[in-house]
Amino acid sequence: MKTSEKSKRLSKKAEEKQKNVLEVLQTHGAKIYEDLNNGQFPKFSVPSRSVSNIVYDKKLRQYILGNSAALRSSRNSSQLRSFTQLMWLAFFANRLTKEKKSSTLRDVYYSSQAFAIEFEDQGESDNIIVDLEAVLSKPREDFHIFPEERSSIFGDLNIEYTIPGYEGKTMNLSNHPDGYSIGPSLTTSELLDTSAEIVIAIEKGGLFTRFVEEQVDKKFKSIIINTGGQAPRSTRTLLKRLHDEMGLPIIVLTDGDVYGEHIAMVIKSGSANAAHLRELTVPDAKWVGVWATDIEKFKLPTIPMTESDIKRCYDLQKDPRYQEGIWKKELDVFLRIKRKAELEAFSKYGLTNITDKYLPQKLELAKSI
Amino acid sequence: MMSSIKEQFNQISPSEFFYSNRDLAGFSNPTRSLYTAVREFVENSLDACDQKGILPEVHLTIKAVESEKPDPKQYVLTVKDNGPGVYAEHIPLAFGTVLYGSKFGLKQARGMFGLGATMAILYGQITTNKPVIVKSSADGKTQDEFEILLDIQKNKPVILKHSTKEVSKNGLSISICLEGDYSKAGTKIRDYVYETSLITPYATITFDDPKGQKFHHPRFVKEIPPPPTIIKPHPHGIDVERIRRMIVESQFEIPIIDDTMIEKVRKDLGLSKQNLSFIAIIAKAKKKWKTLSRQVRVVIALMSFLKMDFEKLRKIRIEDLDIPNKKLYYWDFGDSQSKSIDIDPESQYYKQLTNTVQGEPLTTFLTKRFQRIGPTTAVKFADFAGFKPEKRMGTMTNQELVQLSDSLQKFEDFLSPDPSCLAPLGEVPLEKGIKKFFNPDFTAVVQRPASAYSGFPFIVEMGIAYGGDIKSGGPHVYRYANRIPLLYDEGSDVVLKVVNETDWGRYKVKGDPPFIIVSHICSTRIPYKTAGKENVADRPEIERELRLALQFLSRKLAAYMSKKGQVEMAKKRANLYAKYIPLIAQFCTELAGKKKEPNYKKMLEGEAIVENK
Repeated sequence: MKTSEKSKRLSKKAEEKQKNVLEVLQTHGAKIYEDLNNGQFPKFSVPSRSVSNIVYDKKLRQYILGNSAALRSSRNSSQLRSFTQLMWLAFFANRLTKEKKSSTLRDVYYSSQAFAIEFEDQGESDNIIVDLEAVLSKPREDFHIFPEERSSIFGDLNIEYTIPGYEGKTMNLSNHPDGYSIGPSLTTSELLDTSAEIVIAIEKGGLFTRFVEEQVDKKFKSIIINTGGQAPRSTRTLLKRLHDEMGLPIIVLTDGDVYGEHIAMVIKSGSANAAHLRELTVPDAKWVGVWATDIEKFKLPTIPMTESDIKRCYDLQKDPRYQEGIWKKELDVFLRIKRKAELEAFSKYGLTNITDKYLPQKLELAKSI
Repeated sequence: MMSSIKEQFNQISPSEFFYSNRDLAGFSNPTRSLYTAVREFVENSLDACDQKGILPEVHLTIKAVESEKPDPKQYVLTVKDNGPGVYAEHIPLAFGTVLYGSKFGLKQARGMFGLGATMAILYGQITTNKPVIVKSSADGKTQDEFEILLDIQKNKPVILKHSTKEVSKNGLSISICLEGDYSKAGTKIRDYVYETSLITPYATITFDDPKGQKFHHPRFVKEIPPPPTIIKPHPHGIDVERIRRMIVESQFEIPIIDDTMIEKVRKDLGLSKQNLSFIAIIAKAKKKWKTLSRQVRVVIALMSFLKMDFEKLRKIRIEDLDIPNKKLYYWDFGDSQSKSIDIDPESQYYKQLTNTVQGEPLTTFLTKRFQRIGPTTAVKFADFAGFKPEKRMGTMTNQELVQLSDSLQKFEDFLSPDPSCLAPLGEVPLEKGIKKFFNPDFTAVVQRPASAYSGFPFIVEMGIAYGGDIKSGGPHVYRYANRIPLLYDEGSDVVLKVVNETDWGRYKVKGDPPFIIVSHICSTRIPYKTAGKENVADRPEIERELRLALQFLSRKLAAYMSKKGQVEMAKKRANLYAKYIPLIAQFCTELAGKKKEPNYKKMLEGEAIVENK
């Protein structure tokens, strides 16, 4: 009973979200319609995504776009093409959202050809999609365009689909040991209930399988998510919803190197690439390992850092988010020891060492940080 | 150059000279020879018409003697014109000898000495042993026809045939048989005829080629450009040999004392009917001295030494005046022997005679025989060169002549050369020609003011054209010098150098542009790199003028190109609007949830009007 009420409320929320997207699209469309009808060349402004306009917002704890915006005018013949492309994409997104159909980036590239909108390559169409995100201040998933990359999820979580043909159908995400891929249907579904008390996001597919095998979900009452390296935006959206809607804490487990540290950081506070979006971050997410200090503490087998690893360290040292706490501390240690360790390094002490020994310690630690 | 040729002619036979110089003169092989022969005859015809102010009609025919034979083979080359013709009495010498010593006039002409045509005749005779056939009418009533062979050893014409007939037009026709290769030379000859008609728009040129094709280029300009005037040389353009020739020309020879001369002296003295004694004649002359002409004075001076009256004077002939030994030699018809008398340096008539054979003073020589030298400059120059102003030209030693020549080159206070001896085509006919030949979208022409190099005046005319019938892959350069198209050896030419050094991108000319450049250099002496007259050497003064002309035209071209670019841009933009605005309208209609598309048509129309302005 309780879950059903919650479900209805959530369902309404999803509908509202859709309505909101459609309204914004219509507003923009109407304005351009008016301009044309008045014999004026339509124009609109697109927030600038140039490096100089990306700033770190301490309050939001993420990168956001500054105030500068580029005016795109259909009068300017060099902008006319991209203007039309953007209009087409809005038109296409409008149809997708209305019909609740999903599309991929590649799909968009090909769909354009039916309307005589020529994109030179997918790179160009991807760019226009980001433009539309920036104009609407909404992630592309909101207007039903999804990336190709898939990550997966496993654990006791009940969901209810909202996509056409599956509406009302429910599913428990612990029924299939390979996990469920996080695609449009999962991202748009209602999250009903869960017995889990924590979400463990892990960088690598191999470890994800190990965790399922070792029943980490049951032993530690957790939902396990494989980010597959840098977490895709749909996965980040899902992480945010698990945190915000289900009230679950999020912890992130990565390789013990500078890239792993940054994977955790992107989940927590976003990337500069998505500075135009605000719905993708989980500021409360915690990175629990593998830390540079863990390498010494657990006597893990290591490999030396490469030139590019070291350069990356120096780059991140300039990032405002790496100026304090473990972020700064671990980065400094990485730079000092100039060595790194992968999650699999624990296998030196037995295949289950990571789940038996390391994970419990880290879960305990997570409560205190 | 000319004088060195002359010296060689004096020593070797023309035939030998021809063989040793055929490469230089453009008769190196059957292909080149056929082309050169065509050029020489056509240019002679055009020059002859120009000189008399006749609108030229030139008819060129080349016919194979045996058309089936493979090249190289014998061809009959005929060039017929409506020019002034040559008087019958001059024809054997003009066409049957290798000419030298032809008058060294200083003015612009296609050919300098008429030597090239003689070379062609000689080449024809050597390769085919056939005579040259000349038909000429100088009075427009009778035509003389000659068949002439050249006696190569004696350098004398051998007239094989001479006939006359009645005609109604002036003109000259020359026909030679020569070995040639039309299959290889054809392209160049057709180009030559085509390009010649571009730079000679007042001429009608017709060409019947051996394959039965006719190329007809009618005149499209009715006015002949003003003919050049013959002028005196500029001191900067002179060398020792030229000075030597000029001194020979300037020296006053002792006049031939024949009956006519004696009659003249008598008349001038007022003694036509009277027979006076020698003493009385001298006394009469003294009285009238100031009114006497130079020639008469010399005769009187001679008479004073000879102590003869008119009757005695009739019976002798002056042989020589030996100034260093102070002796006068003469031939006595009565005694049939040579005699001599001493001449007294103290006599008042001595100076009259010595001055005559020693020539003019330096300053007079300069002011009278060169252009643009006044008495003041002449005196200044004499000082500069280290000569006394009154130094007699006839007394100059070889060394002094070299010194004089060097100084003439170095002295900087001479005025620049007089360009009135030049005959540029003019901007209007040049532009007309370019427009007719290429039907271009854009044309610009310029005639630079006269300039000079080494004492030779020159004028650069240039035209530039873009688009229309012009092939892409430009700039295509049409080079002319003194109205002659230059077709060979373009690689080393100064015009090409200047064109190639131009950064066309700066003038908004990009890619494979359809444009041409017509360059015409007029000068009393074109500095050809070779005697074949095909490429112009890069004298800095000429290069500078070419560059300025090209820059001027290029800027005009750039203005046209940018205007053209703007129009194209506007067109392109209008096309873009027509393509994309309807799409935008379609998309926003659905987005806005409307049924009817916005009315954007008037917007597109308005845009088109604005852009067209």
